[in-house]
Amino acid sequence: MKRFIDHDELARDSRFIRQDGAANSVLATLPDDVDTVVDIFEQLAPMIEKATRGTAAEPLYEEYGPAYNLVVLNEPIHPDDPALVNRLRFRLHGILIGELQALEGASRSLWDFPEAPWEFKMNMARQAWDEARHVQIYEKLLQYMGGEIGDYPENTFLFECACSEDPAMRVAGVNRGLEGLACDVFRDLIRYAEKVGDDTIKQAVDFVLADEITHVRFGSNWVKEFTKDDPDYFKRTQEFRREVDKRFSFGGARSARADAAIPLAVQDRLEAGFTAEEIDEIGALSAGGPSRETLREAARILAERHRAKKAQQTQTAAE
Amino acid sequence: MSEQRLYPGSGQDERTSFAPYSAFDIPADLRTLHGRFDVEAVALRVRNWRYAEEWMMMIMGGWVATIPELPVKTGLGKIIWDSAVAADELGKRLPELRCGSKVGQFGSQPGNEGFAALIQEISSPESPELTIEKLTGIFDVLKPHLVDVYERFCTETDQICDAPTIILLEDITRRSRAHIAWGNTILDELCKDAASEQRRAKRRDELAAMLAECGGVTGEEAVVTH
Repeated sequence: MKRFIDHDELARDSRFIRQDGAANSVLATLPDDVDTVVDIFEQLAPMIEKATRGTAAEPLYEEYGPAYNLVVLNEPIHPDDPALVNRLRFRLHGILIGELQALEGASRSLWDFPEAPWEFKMNMARQAWDEARHVQIYEKLLQYMGGEIGDYPENTFLFECACSEDPAMRVAGVNRGLEGLACDVFRDLIRYAEKVGDDTIKQAVDFVLADEITHVRFGSNWVKEFTKDDPDYFKRTQEFRREVDKRFSFGGARSARADAAIPLAVQDRLEAGFTAEEIDEIGALSAGGPSRETLREAARILAERHRAKKAQQTQTAAE
Repeated sequence: MSEQRLYPGSGQDERTSFAPYSAFDIPADLRTLHGRFDVEAVALRVRNWRYAEEWMMMIMGGWVATIPELPVKTGLGKIIWDSAVAADELGKRLPELRCGSKVGQFGSQPGNEGFAALIQEISSPESPELTIEKLTGIFDVLKPHLVDVYERFCTETDQICDAPTIILLEDITRRSRAHIAWGNTILDELCKDAASEQRRAKRRDELAAMLAECGGVTGEEAVVTH
């Protein structure tokens, strides 16, 4: 068995639908300009449409057009949202995919770095089991909300951008970047569950959050250990983690901004070993993208154009 | 000058009136001293077992990403952790057997080159179509062999002097039996047609032959075919 695999080698059963992760990558680079956002999403529309056809995301595409992801990610989930159930399933499915790729990432670390210290292997083995349980937990939560695996497309963006061939970079990317993001997303989900009085979601996600804090702590400790005699190496791992954080800020949807759909889980991050400076930095990195108002306006224009295009197609077909 | 008392309760007038242990109706301890292995031989075996447990953990870790069946991926997550715990516990036993600092941080050692080659062969299936070949190596061949070896060792080693190793192996064996049962359930499910069953049997026979040839995990085992 070779060391290191490419993201497109991740094996899936027939339920899963693979999607190109380009739209997610683009989100990290969008400027705070409505016209540019609209222009980029119109270019990506055929690819996004193809990936959603035949999935539960298709009604979202029909409703919002190629910017459905902007709406889903950028707007907080409210109990009175007409698309609540579909959006919640979409988010749970996305988390399940994240957990699955985290399971694969942690497990691969055992094979990819045979010379790593024993305690590192112990931590990665424990994380593999935890992530496996998280996949099972989110599969059950998805079913609890009436969804199933494969309802929405999967992209391998997480594995792709975090699984470095360097152990310090990998734990910086996966354990600090992505597991840190998980802390933010799960804290937000817990807040939603508290708001609607759903103890099943609240309790399950709270257990998962406790595990994630442990995994971030693994990352915090191992980055320090792997780079302890090499300040330049430490600097490079921090830069890599920043890059991962930026790419997973979804254009500011996850940020320290007042209008963030997913606020930073500051207390959880502190407990996991992030310093206050690092948290401020993540907030600043994430805030660099388009504002919620920009994304909202772009999403409105894109949805309008999408509906006009559909109406035109219907009319042409009738003639 | 009064008599110096070193320990409370040791004065003549402080002795209890309880009869010695043998006066009670408790079955006699029939265990005898002198097992098959001395300290050095046990330590060497612990290193060989640790090698097997550590590599199983690493191999299964490598496979999770290339196995398409979701319940297999998630099921392996738990077994990876159990294997890590087994390797860790075996490693912690080494310093108790005067084999700590001498063997470095890992403490793992293959029984011989043949066993190391077997481990490499078990790890070789890579593509997503080879879940049967992957699981057969671990759950039909290696784990059943290790359970046999651990159980036999527990009956042959000194029951009193080496009790810590026995307790440790009993725990690993209990978990390994659960892993084998899980693996068999999955493999039975994956091998419902004759062609798949044939693949499983072929892989099992090839690896079992290698295992017998090298003398098992320690290089000195009489390998039982399952």
